[in-house]
Amino acid sequence: MNIERDENGGFLFSDVEPPLAELFLAIPSAADPDGNAAAQRRLFPDPVAEKGAAVVEDWEQWVKPVLREAFENASTTVEADLTPMAAGEDAVTIPLEHVDAWLNALNQARLVLAERFEVTEEEMNRPAPFPSQNERHTALTQIHVYGLLQECLIQGVE
Amino acid sequence: MNETQTETKEKTALDLPWNVVVHNDPVNLMSYVALVFRRVFEFSKEKSEQHMMEVHQKGRSVVWSGGRERAELYVQQLHGYLLLATLERSA
Repeated sequence: MNIERDENGGFLFSDVEPPLAELFLAIPSAADPDGNAAAQRRLFPDPVAEKGAAVVEDWEQWVKPVLREAFENASTTVEADLTPMAAGEDAVTIPLEHVDAWLNALNQARLVLAERFEVTEEEMNRPAPFPSQNERHTALTQIHVYGLLQECLIQGVE
Repeated sequence: MNETQTETKEKTALDLPWNVVVHNDPVNLMSYVALVFRRVFEFSKEKSEQHMMEVHQKGRSVVWSGGRERAELYVQQLHGYLLLATLERSA
């Protein structure tokens, strides 16, 4: 895979090998916390540690829907940028104004996968396992690869 | 306790600042956490990295203290960046 910047500061990932392209294409679905209570709690945490605080109810009613919409918008932006890749191209362009959406969607995906597969801190610090048919290994690979993509985008915008 | 003392005590409690606390999370990248601190609080690179290291090493860092309303807004912004943040009354 090659990484270049365009004249507007956007990123071009080209010559993306098929296994890596699959991981790119899986970002939006990996970021979806539906059906997993732990992932839902991690993406939408309470604002205070104590249970039953009045602010928690307000947060549920007013803040969480706003966050949910923002996270869904980030995923939608990423999905739209991935359209050419979904059609078979081996490249993806991330316009500079979409970098925040990508950082957000990649972070959602990493957090949701970590919750779904109950990834430990020790596993997070180990090198990514070789891709295999093992679902957990695939999830760990996704977490690591998405982290590398995040690092790349962060370094690029700093 | 007379009325003046009661009022003073209540006023002091109301005046206590609220802390915005960021908690450690093994998934979020350290570089990402530092970037978020710079974005949300406009910290310098050095200050954002100090707070990020405090979160990483001590498990939490008080990143801002002040009025309740603004503290809630900061926690909302931090949740928008998917950081684990809470609001707590300053001791």
